[in-house]
Amino acid sequence: MAAPTRRERLGVTPEMIEAFGPIIFDLSTNVQDRRGDPVRLLQFDEIERQRSGAGLSDPEIAARIGLAADQVTFIRVLLEQRRFKPARYYRLFQLGGGRRFRTERGMERDAYEEAQFGGDALAIRDALRFRPDHVRREIESGSWTADTVATYLRHWAGETPQAAAVAAPGHAPLSYGAALDRAERLAAALAALGVRRGDVVTVQLPSTPDFVVIYCAAARLGAVLSTLHMPYGPGEAEPLLRHSRARAVFCGAASDKSDAPAMFAALAERLPNLRHVISAGPERPGVHALEALIAGADRATVPPLPVAFDAALMCYTSGTSDAPKAVPHSYQSLLANPRQCLPVFAVKPGERIVSAAPLTHAFGLFVANVALMTGATFVPLPAFTPPALAAVLEQDRPTHAFVAPAHVAALLKAGLLDGRDVTSLRQVIVSGSYCAPELKRALEEKLGCGRVYELWGMTETFAVLLGDPREPARERHDWIGRATPGSAARITDLDGNPAPANTEGELQVRGCSVFGGYFDNAAANAGIFTDDGWLRTGDLAVMSETGHVRITGRIKDIINRGGVKLNPSDVEALIDQHEAVLQSAIVPMPDPILGERACCCVVLKPGQTLSLEMLCAWLERQGVAKFKWPERLVPIEAMPMTPTRKIIKGALIKMVG
Amino acid sequence: MRRSVTLRGPSDILAGAAGKTGDGHGCVHWDFSPTRARPAPGMSRTPDIDPAAAKQAIIDYCLRKGAMVAGVADLAAIERIAPAGHRPTDLMPRVKSVIAVAVGGATAGAWRVPAKALGYFGSTESRAYKIVYGLAFFIEHKFGVPAIYCPPDMDPELGARYPLQSLKLHAELAGLGARSLAGDILLHPDYGYMYYASCFTELALPPDKPLAENPCPAPSCVAMFRRDGRTPCMKFCPAQCLSGEIGADGKQAAMHYDMAACAELTQQFETVPQLLRDAIATDNPEEREALLLGERNKVLWYRMTVGNGGLFAQCFECMRVCPIATNAPLADPLKRGAAQRAAASRKVQHGGADAA
Repeated sequence: MAAPTRRERLGVTPEMIEAFGPIIFDLSTNVQDRRGDPVRLLQFDEIERQRSGAGLSDPEIAARIGLAADQVTFIRVLLEQRRFKPARYYRLFQLGGGRRFRTERGMERDAYEEAQFGGDALAIRDALRFRPDHVRREIESGSWTADTVATYLRHWAGETPQAAAVAAPGHAPLSYGAALDRAERLAAALAALGVRRGDVVTVQLPSTPDFVVIYCAAARLGAVLSTLHMPYGPGEAEPLLRHSRARAVFCGAASDKSDAPAMFAALAERLPNLRHVISAGPERPGVHALEALIAGADRATVPPLPVAFDAALMCYTSGTSDAPKAVPHSYQSLLANPRQCLPVFAVKPGERIVSAAPLTHAFGLFVANVALMTGATFVPLPAFTPPALAAVLEQDRPTHAFVAPAHVAALLKAGLLDGRDVTSLRQVIVSGSYCAPELKRALEEKLGCGRVYELWGMTETFAVLLGDPREPARERHDWIGRATPGSAARITDLDGNPAPANTEGELQVRGCSVFGGYFDNAAANAGIFTDDGWLRTGDLAVMSETGHVRITGRIKDIINRGGVKLNPSDVEALIDQHEAVLQSAIVPMPDPILGERACCCVVLKPGQTLSLEMLCAWLERQGVAKFKWPERLVPIEAMPMTPTRKIIKGALIKMVG
Repeated sequence: MRRSVTLRGPSDILAGAAGKTGDGHGCVHWDFSPTRARPAPGMSRTPDIDPAAAKQAIIDYCLRKGAMVAGVADLAAIERIAPAGHRPTDLMPRVKSVIAVAVGGATAGAWRVPAKALGYFGSTESRAYKIVYGLAFFIEHKFGVPAIYCPPDMDPELGARYPLQSLKLHAELAGLGARSLAGDILLHPDYGYMYYASCFTELALPPDKPLAENPCPAPSCVAMFRRDGRTPCMKFCPAQCLSGEIGADGKQAAMHYDMAACAELTQQFETVPQLLRDAIATDNPEEREALLLGERNKVLWYRMTVGNGGLFAQCFECMRVCPIATNAPLADPLKRGAAQRAAASRKVQHGGADAA
């Protein structure tokens, strides 16, 4: 039998503690009241009268309430102990030296610890698994700094508060000062809703000033921004929201075509983590109005700033894998790369940067960060159409434009740059997918003195390859470019050995903006990095003696035909030029003898027909070696595409398998 | 034989020396008889001790050793006011006199440093303890009467929030300060905010009286209270543990002090057992490591071993904004030194001397 505790020896029960505790506490010196100044004036009667207010000794309390003095002492000390929190006095460190507590502002808190992490925040933080040598290299080289999106926004809001931060066609310009104000208000509002540091907030909006404000608000709060591409419906959104544990989702107003607020409100009922749906439109049951949140918030209550290693962004890859993968980035890995690329872009404060890439895509956010870092005006296209892009390029007088090959092709094909004055453009940076040299050349011819070059990156890496506008056109157009400052690239054969110059192999990269691993996806993380810390991009590429890189295909697209490995990319590009073909993709189909054979899926132009024999004859006339010819032709009505217009080959493989 | 002598109260000794005689702190007249104290074992009692001269010698000793001011509290009043178990006679049954000593003095710059550094400037109580520790020996050697340094610590039977003796009560009754709206912290019109220590002796000494006027609230605080309903100490207390009322006469009408809230923010002694308890209780080795050896708690071990005993931080925010504490005319060490030299000069002129 266990020895009785001191409480038991004193005969104090838990019920006694609950019943007598508050009385004892108030009668003790823990709470003191005095009227007048009786001690100094030696008013003994008044001293006696006020004795309980001044605080009684434990024997006095005991005598008053009918307990033993030892019991009173025990209960009093227990209550003091319960109430005392060891960490409280740390707050005093924030006081003095000119800083004073003010009730109207609240106590200045421990800047980081007090803000606390949201429930799933540490899981995302855990995915930021950067190798120690990586961290050391980036910090020592100066690639990783303490800057965050919030610090850049604060800087420019202080330097040029009236300058336009965002100027989207069809929307009122948003100045840096207003952007900071709205972002901090929204951050305070989100905090009031219970969104904490490290919680995921998801956005499905066009590239509007509101999107930028939400991005900055999440960054100010320390929440993690995730995005949903605009075409996503509930079927695509639900698994991503579930996987990210999103706490809030921002969406557009209901329209004739869709009712996003209703869709997300319905999802919120099925997703336990999703607590808040915030619409750019009016408030309705279960849906907050963005404007109302911003208008009703108090900037003074915004929580402490996040730090640069906090998780900042978690986008889902637009890759062609069957299952999307979540790519978390810290502010350090998010911002290091655009910062390192600034000398190449040479953007000056106040200049205008057009982005045709949507903000739901890492490319779009990269461009937004370039503008934010330089104090430039970010000119996003809320909805891409070739005429809209052409109009912006002429009327907004941008100095830089970041576009995808498809955007350029559409502009040129429609002749929308013909006769337009786009001489303000100094640089056009093409990225997002493979860009034919001819396309870059054709665009540059339309610009006058502007230079066209390419940027290559992944959600996992941001821009690790970049052209250089100072280089001759041949280098800029025939190659993507070289590794960006702070990044490194190498080509290996499929066994992982270094490949000679100009030899096709796998592109591997490392650098300041390479992510640390996928969130909550062990299968995807397996083997993604080499033992010495290089990211396997899965892309086939060649590198010249000068370090210029050109992408030649995807490893996973390679067809292993009886041991002969076939990269179908060049054949696909050729077939796309066939007069009957709108779009093609060559994928492997299983074969009992050779293992795999090439199957060509084609979308034919209206009214056209094509047989395998006709295609092979045509390829022969084009000089394509026979082993590269497809051995099956499957006409389809439409290619399965990602929102960023990449063919989902996995779906085709299933179809032909 | 009863004699009537004139002594100046503790505030007037220095105030007068500093040329402030007649500034409202009037002389105090006392009647008392020569003491017949029982000699301490191993010492011979000095015959026919003149209480007034003895008191003067004691006060001079204290000032010379660094006290800002010293005085004698009315023992009978303490016995009447202090709760049972915390009266001087509970500690020293034959005590006749309670001598209160105050030290302090922060430069104007000290009030401007961060709170974690201000703790060092405020931790002057050890100087007060040192003075009264020496004073007890001084009394026994000079007068052959037992004396003790009143332990400034907490009552070991009652936990950390009840002192053995109320040094504040001793000081207040000795006229070294008056209770303020800032949680009853004593303030003195000339010396501002001080730390106190007490010496008990069986030597009977003429007691001083409490301050005639309470300097709190200062006129500027009254004006602020009339305007905002708060004094500076109430407004800037980070624990918001202070509130009160000021009457139409500009004097304190009511004071409320949530000592528990104050202690939560300003005291650290309960941190030690709590973190040990938490370290024992946790199943997580990483958490245990952080509790015992994390940066904040590791400093605790430093303080307890090789540190100088200073606090991690101490609040002082109520005093930082108190015009009495920060603008006290004699809190300046240089002015205080001049006052002490004047007191010493007066003693020589009167032919007094002590054997310290």
